[in-house]
Amino acid sequence: MAKILGIDLGTTNSAMAVMENGELRVLENNEGNRTTPSIVAMSKSNERLTGLLAKRQGVVNPQNTVSSVKRLIGRKFSDPEVKRDAAWLSYAIKESAQGGVDVKMGDRWYTPEEISAMILQKMKLDAEAKLGQPVNDAVITVPAYFDDSQRQATKNAGEIAGFTVRRIINEPTAAALAYGMNRKKNEKIVVYDFGGGTFDISVLEIADNTVEVRATGGDTHLGGDDFDKRIIEFLVSEYKKQEGIDISKDSLAIQRLKEAAERAKHELSTAMESEINLPYITSDAAGPKHFVMKMTRAKLEDLVRDLIDHSIALVRETVTAAKPKGAGLQISEIDEVLLVGGQTRMPAIQEAVKKLFNKEPHKGINPDEVVAIGAAAQGEILSAKDENRKTEGEVKDILLLDVTPLSLSIETLGGVATPMIQKNTTIPTAKTQVFSTAADNQTSVEVHIGQGERPMMSDNKTLARFILDGIPPSPRGVPQVEVTFDVDANGILNVSAKDKATGKSQSVRIEASTSLNKEEIERLKQEAAAHAAEDEKKREFIEAKNQAESAVYLAEKGLKDAGDKVPQELKDSVNARVTRVKEVKEKEDLEAIKTATQELTQELQKIGELLYNNKGPDAKGPEPEKPENTA
Amino acid sequence: MSDTEHNAGAVPQEEPQDTAADECRRERDEYLDGWKRAKADLINYKREEGDRIAHAMKTGHERVMKDVIAVLDSMDLGLMSLADDNSAKKGMFLIKAQLEDSLKRHGLERIAVEAGEMFDPLKHEAVGMMESPFPEGSVAEEVERGYSLYGKVVRPCRVRVSKGHS
Repeated sequence: MAKILGIDLGTTNSAMAVMENGELRVLENNEGNRTTPSIVAMSKSNERLTGLLAKRQGVVNPQNTVSSVKRLIGRKFSDPEVKRDAAWLSYAIKESAQGGVDVKMGDRWYTPEEISAMILQKMKLDAEAKLGQPVNDAVITVPAYFDDSQRQATKNAGEIAGFTVRRIINEPTAAALAYGMNRKKNEKIVVYDFGGGTFDISVLEIADNTVEVRATGGDTHLGGDDFDKRIIEFLVSEYKKQEGIDISKDSLAIQRLKEAAERAKHELSTAMESEINLPYITSDAAGPKHFVMKMTRAKLEDLVRDLIDHSIALVRETVTAAKPKGAGLQISEIDEVLLVGGQTRMPAIQEAVKKLFNKEPHKGINPDEVVAIGAAAQGEILSAKDENRKTEGEVKDILLLDVTPLSLSIETLGGVATPMIQKNTTIPTAKTQVFSTAADNQTSVEVHIGQGERPMMSDNKTLARFILDGIPPSPRGVPQVEVTFDVDANGILNVSAKDKATGKSQSVRIEASTSLNKEEIERLKQEAAAHAAEDEKKREFIEAKNQAESAVYLAEKGLKDAGDKVPQELKDSVNARVTRVKEVKEKEDLEAIKTATQELTQELQKIGELLYNNKGPDAKGPEPEKPENTA
Repeated sequence: MSDTEHNAGAVPQEEPQDTAADECRRERDEYLDGWKRAKADLINYKREEGDRIAHAMKTGHERVMKDVIAVLDSMDLGLMSLADDNSAKKGMFLIKAQLEDSLKRHGLERIAVEAGEMFDPLKHEAVGMMESPFPEGSVAEEVERGYSLYGKVVRPCRVRVSKGHS
């Protein structure tokens, strides 16, 4: 099955994704990274470098390192955008014979298509290496505002790289596809895309399986990099104020500061405060100087507030301005908002967008990868059409597998509900566990089956009870009763219990284990959530009580087995503690039970030690037993 | 013509049985295929999951390592700032060596670089140029150390590239 690669060919970084085993997956490049810098270079030794390698030598070879070529592709040399960008591009550009742009790299002039093709070719080779099969077809994304000439040039770049370009799709459309928005009907969607170097807004309208771009807007020179710059400027000026040293000219200090600032920016997306700590950042006559500064989320927001406000003003304009400048819509008419681009992880941006539209924006998919994922989704749709099959996602849906809505449990010592099959387990499924008896010479066990999330069986819904008898009399914990819960595809639960010694078994069939009505499931779930704290206490209490009982049992058995080998003094001490445990066990004081049990256990250890140390290897102290799962 | 009619007349008698059996066979094959696929999917998933976990165990601490590299940088600078006869210097040097040794056991290794070797973007990142006795385009000096984690460059050596003699 030939795969169609989805490619997000970005201004600063590119990413690729593919459908694999029914899941859309971002592919790592050869360097093991999920994004590839959109940079190509001709090294001083006349070697062509692409991606990260080109980036690493950019500083010392700027005139032969081509970045941001997306800003030039398919444009006329006379285009005002090109004129504006020419001022800061590190490499030479000139007007081509056809009035387009040519880019100089090494001793040759290239078209922007050729440069983009080099990036695409690297991605093709890396994808082939990763997937272990040739990848000939691709879906490539472009900004929604790209005109025909820019789209054609991007398509040409793909063909030069050796791809059959199956489709050129808009980046916001790809984002909508990644979120499955194409299945919605008559919706208006805003895509807020804050990348590293560009900010794009698109207003989309979905109708009858088509995605129409109603308006686009943004700022081609606003991005996350501006945020980083602001933070660094602030840190440098604060340091100058504090220490009187200007570190802006020290390239190593700035490099360290840049990395620390980026870390702080990421950290402040989840934390309220971050510390930037760079020992030995510089030195003066007095000796080494360190950089230690706390930065709060509020401060960061303060530094970039105007940039966020500017982006929001642009969104408002793109949505509400009359056509053709905007979509001519009311803000309230927008049904969904999607966030794209790494910078949208910033809580202040999410809040600002939420406030404008008065609804929560979608942000579940990694915003750096959502466009590539969407391109791969489009690739899968085309691939399925070629092979006359359903798309992989849909194929999965044909065989609908149910899940158990609530946990299925068995009652164990102290009325505890011990889950055998956890809630949300896909069925059919089965689970077997071995249980034992709670008392000496117990000849029957009751299997009590319940459903629900509460830790105590009495709070859950009872499904069935049955008794397995005929267990040969033996000390507690010795008999082995194997209990199996089996839920078939129709949700019918079969529970069987078998005594492993005699082979005797009993079973019950429960028809309606998964067919509770919605209200009942909801009620049980809510009850579990509402009583979580109190239930936890109860469970802890029962556990402590079980442990206390177990310790008493071990002590009595230990004393009996050891007979005269234990000095009377120790016997009395153990007996006193046994009495104490029995006393507190009946009271509702958890701490008292725990303390008494611990004291008793310590005394028991003394018996063990005594028997082992003094009486040789044949002597046996009370054997440690794990607390029984006692049915 | 009459043959055709005769045949046509005979078919309906046998058809219901055949169709039902065929339908059953078709369904059986479909279900068996589905079952086999589900089983194969699970086996493949388990294997892939195993590979993924092994990969994650190996590289999952890449972020942690990157943070630790920043600490190693500070230690390097700290050591450089101390005079050679400073009694604390040796101790600090040993602590750093101890830390580097334990990181090495977890796959993190220093990338060696020497002034004069040719600049290689596979393991070097240029941060500037300077005059030096070394040929143009070679490494003039190391500014920050580079590290690899199980062979993957997690931070290239930051170097100044030689402009040659003036």
